[in-house]
Amino acid sequence: MEEELKQIVDAANANVGAVSNRAAFEAFKAGITGPNGSLTKVMKSMGQVAKEDRPTFGKRINEAKQQVQAIYNSALEAIEAAEIAERLGPPIDPSLPSPDSEPGSLHPLTQVREEISRIFKQIGFTVAEGTEVETEYYCFDALNTPKDHPARDLQDTFYLPDDADFGNVSKKSDERYLLRTHTSSVQIRTMLKGEPPIRIISPGRCFRRDTVDATHSANFHQVEGLYVDKNVTVRDLKAILDYFFEQLLGKGTTTRFRPHFFPYTEPSFEVDFSSSHLAKLGSDWVEIAGCGMVEPEVFASVGYDPEVYSGFAFGMGIERIAMIIYGIDDIRYFYQNDHRFLKQFA
Amino acid sequence: MKISLNWLKRYIDLPESPKEIADSLTLLGFEVDDMESTGLPQLENVIVGEVLDRQQHPDADKLGVCRVALGDAIGEKTIVCGASNYKVGDRVPVAIPGAVLPGGFKIKRSKLRGVESDGMMCSGKEIGAGEDAAGLLILEGRPELGTPINAVLTESDTVFNLEVTPNRPDCLSHLGIARELAAWYQRELSYPAVDNLPAPGDRPSGEKIFKSASVECEEDCPLYRATVIKGVKIGPSPAWMQDLLSSIGLRPINNVVDVTNYVLHECGNPLHAFDARDINGSKITVRNARECEKVVTLDDEERTLSSRMVVIADDERALAVAGVMGGQNSEVKEDTTDIVLEVAYFNPTTIRWVSKTLGLSSDSSYRFERGVDPSSLRFATDRAVQLILETAGGTVCGPEQVAGSEPMVEKEIELSTDWVRAKAGFEISDEEIRDSLERLDMVISEENDGDWLVNIPSYRGDLDRPIDLLEEVLRIYGTDKIPSGAVVATATGENDNPITEFSRRAANYLVGQHFNEVVNYTLRSEGEQQNWSESVSRMALGLKNPISEDQTQLRHSLLPGILESLRLNRSRKTGATRFFELGRVFREVNGKVVEMISVAFAECSLGRPRSWKLREADDFFTAKNRATLLAGFAGIDIGRFKVSQIVDDSTAWQKGQAAVIDDPRAGILAEFGLMNLERIKALDIEGDMVAGSFSILPERLKAAKRVQFQPFSLFPPTAKDLALVVDQSELANDVVRSIEKIAQKATQGAFAMESIYVFDIYEGEGLPAGKKSVAVSMVFRSSERTLKDKEVNTAFEKIQNVIREKTAFEIRD
Repeated sequence: MEEELKQIVDAANANVGAVSNRAAFEAFKAGITGPNGSLTKVMKSMGQVAKEDRPTFGKRINEAKQQVQAIYNSALEAIEAAEIAERLGPPIDPSLPSPDSEPGSLHPLTQVREEISRIFKQIGFTVAEGTEVETEYYCFDALNTPKDHPARDLQDTFYLPDDADFGNVSKKSDERYLLRTHTSSVQIRTMLKGEPPIRIISPGRCFRRDTVDATHSANFHQVEGLYVDKNVTVRDLKAILDYFFEQLLGKGTTTRFRPHFFPYTEPSFEVDFSSSHLAKLGSDWVEIAGCGMVEPEVFASVGYDPEVYSGFAFGMGIERIAMIIYGIDDIRYFYQNDHRFLKQFA
Repeated sequence: MKISLNWLKRYIDLPESPKEIADSLTLLGFEVDDMESTGLPQLENVIVGEVLDRQQHPDADKLGVCRVALGDAIGEKTIVCGASNYKVGDRVPVAIPGAVLPGGFKIKRSKLRGVESDGMMCSGKEIGAGEDAAGLLILEGRPELGTPINAVLTESDTVFNLEVTPNRPDCLSHLGIARELAAWYQRELSYPAVDNLPAPGDRPSGEKIFKSASVECEEDCPLYRATVIKGVKIGPSPAWMQDLLSSIGLRPINNVVDVTNYVLHECGNPLHAFDARDINGSKITVRNARECEKVVTLDDEERTLSSRMVVIADDERALAVAGVMGGQNSEVKEDTTDIVLEVAYFNPTTIRWVSKTLGLSSDSSYRFERGVDPSSLRFATDRAVQLILETAGGTVCGPEQVAGSEPMVEKEIELSTDWVRAKAGFEISDEEIRDSLERLDMVISEENDGDWLVNIPSYRGDLDRPIDLLEEVLRIYGTDKIPSGAVVATATGENDNPITEFSRRAANYLVGQHFNEVVNYTLRSEGEQQNWSESVSRMALGLKNPISEDQTQLRHSLLPGILESLRLNRSRKTGATRFFELGRVFREVNGKVVEMISVAFAECSLGRPRSWKLREADDFFTAKNRATLLAGFAGIDIGRFKVSQIVDDSTAWQKGQAAVIDDPRAGILAEFGLMNLERIKALDIEGDMVAGSFSILPERLKAAKRVQFQPFSLFPPTAKDLALVVDQSELANDVVRSIEKIAQKATQGAFAMESIYVFDIYEGEGLPAGKKSVAVSMVFRSSERTLKDKEVNTAFEKIQNVIREKTAFEIRD
């Protein structure tokens, strides 16, 4: 009997190595502890054992059961491990590249626009939007542009046909529709809609009837800013632009104002910057923006009292800034969309 | 505008270098686009030397070894020279060690074929004085030994190309620019003296030559002056005048014409000289042109005029297009002896219109349309008469014929110095303000404790209001000295526009999905638009004045541009296949064009480099999912809208493999799926294109609303499955919607069908032809209790009964 139990356990130990899957395991298990299993048979013979021997016998059987159970457990573990190994396959080669596409990317013009928006947001400017199709009133008249100003010529500005009818671009009266030449029209519409204080930037696509070359494009992007409040001064304008350009181009960037002329600001300035961070440019002053104090006539056209309010406006080209900060020498790269260009800005 | 430095120096001392002057002009508001110097550049260590003797070089036939005297400070040096055009005793430019010649050539002590040389004797070309490189530049007039060469060869000039802003017509001349520099440098400005002319009373009568001038259209020509000069001799103008005119790009013609050009560029006043013989009736009338009147202008073109234009006419015909260009019929010729000199003030608006309408711009029209100072006419006349008498001889006759009168230009502006400081935002003293204004020839005629009355010079038509004076004060104070300060950030309580927010979310999502953003032109070709789809081809999206054939239309969709980007990347083999764009598109809806915010994406199935492992390709449902998410960023649940299958070949999408949601009332358009295979192929793009776009009217985009929390049930759900046999053409979503409605009634509010989803679609064996099975799973749940099987079963029974009775669907067992 003792011998029999030992044989069962030994046999189990000897045969378990061949058990390689769950079916084989179940057969193996049935052969030992199943209803007709070898161990079950021995247990069933318990009745024939003399009473006084039963405790010893029982103890031996329990021991054998435990040993068999341990064999089962290890067999199951091995099977599970084999199953996982099969499911997972061979170890990966971590040096292989991912078969997924390369990373996506935001276009550099979008990135520059977002960076500009981010900097201005720090100092309280939020983004305003308008339509690309505008009317002559909002693009020129309200901005104090003389009726016969050359910018209005068919030579320089794209117009829509005289019978064009736009459902969601409102007209002042019966003026012509055009493609906006700057985003200043957004300033006008924003002022007409609300009361000071106004503190907005308006990035967006603009159009001028230019022939495409290395620095001109049939459409381009601009960002303009407007601040209207009580007691806004020339110095405030300088302070804002200094802050902006230092954030954009790095510490130590300086700007200078040069007198200029725009119909919608008075006084008007062009802004040059100088930055040691942009080695390509050297130490020269580089033209970067236009700005000025809002012309009283512009306030008059939106119904603000120029005696009460003052303000400033500024504008700059997004392509130009992108070209400066990334060192891009041809504006056409922005519109070709060659992936080798785009992915550099991913 | 071109401005010659030498010309400026006739009116003001300018010892500064051209670069410094350019910087000053820039800070005055006249941006210098470029500058070109003629003559000698500034050269250090190039001085006058004299050849004392010349020996043959021992080892080189063509070289001479010279002893050269260089003045007391340097003494005598030995210089090896290869030229042969000089002789002993000649004085020449010598570059001594340390000199840097044009082109960056540095002179140092060196050995030439074994002989030491202490510098170089120079040709004209080597020092930048002309093109002669054949031999040494032999200096005339024996200049002092050791003199810097720049002090000897002073014939140089610099021409600035500057931008004069439209508000400053007074600076469209050399005197005007000199006046600005005089204010900047605080220097004397010397106007040319014209006091040597015969007094009006001393002039012989010119009435036999010319009788009178009159103006019929006073609004167009407020003032007209005509002066007769008789007995002129036409010939070339003097060299100095020719040089100055040439320096700014004008071609010298003859003395009289050159004087008119010279005075125009000196004073800014356009003038014109007529040959008196050609003035029929000896009378000039300034009048409106007759409709279709013709005149051949000096540029040899016959111009056809209209009645809004103005001509200078004699009794019979037009002699000139007023303010724009003279006519050939009365120009000054070689045999002209008597001339009538015109100086006038024309209405800027008239001249601008005429010039624009005729497509004819001249130096005259350029100035008249910006505004000439009317009170400057007398000076300009005198100056021109003076120069004509000097250069062409003749006698000035009287009396001057004047028509019209000088418009009033005297202006006074009230200015408060405190107001100036308040607008500037920084301390600028009364004295600094006064200094700026006075340097600009303004006169403070009254003062009362910082409240000033400022008289404005007649030529400053741009100054009307105190704010205009603020600019002048800052300009002279120095706009580069405007101090910076602390940023004052007013809080406005506004958020970024919803369009901006939507664009950010959409872009970030697509970038996260491995798409590259592209930016394409808004203006597209008519052909592209026509071929896109039948409905687009009918839209009125054309421009009135396109610039080129391939950019005539507003884009109706971002996809054509994206396809172009894909094609470019494919042909350049960059391996990129996924692109998206965000921007504005235009559609015609019910006869009106609308501008929409749009986002579109496309992926090409070919073009990626081969990979060691394959991924499943995107299909219709990937595109649908993307379009749905993008619409979601705009706050639109496109699941609520009717989706239409693409059923024919009239669109850019593949029949049966794409869908469109078009709801003009909601202001949205979504399209997604496989693009039309044939059209893609016609565009020369290989591969399948899975794409999508979502567009929305900007006014429909709203800032995201704050969410209100909805409590949810903590009790378990019960699910029931149901398979329905429906027509193959039936949309699954319509089936689901029907069941939803039925279920709502069946549960009668006692509990709810929480969700329903399609888990299987089957067609084929076991089903009749033309039918498909749609299997849905319905999930029921109560918010108050655990549902009993019985009540769910009852509801489920009811639902099935209603389906059997009220719908065309068949329940599959």
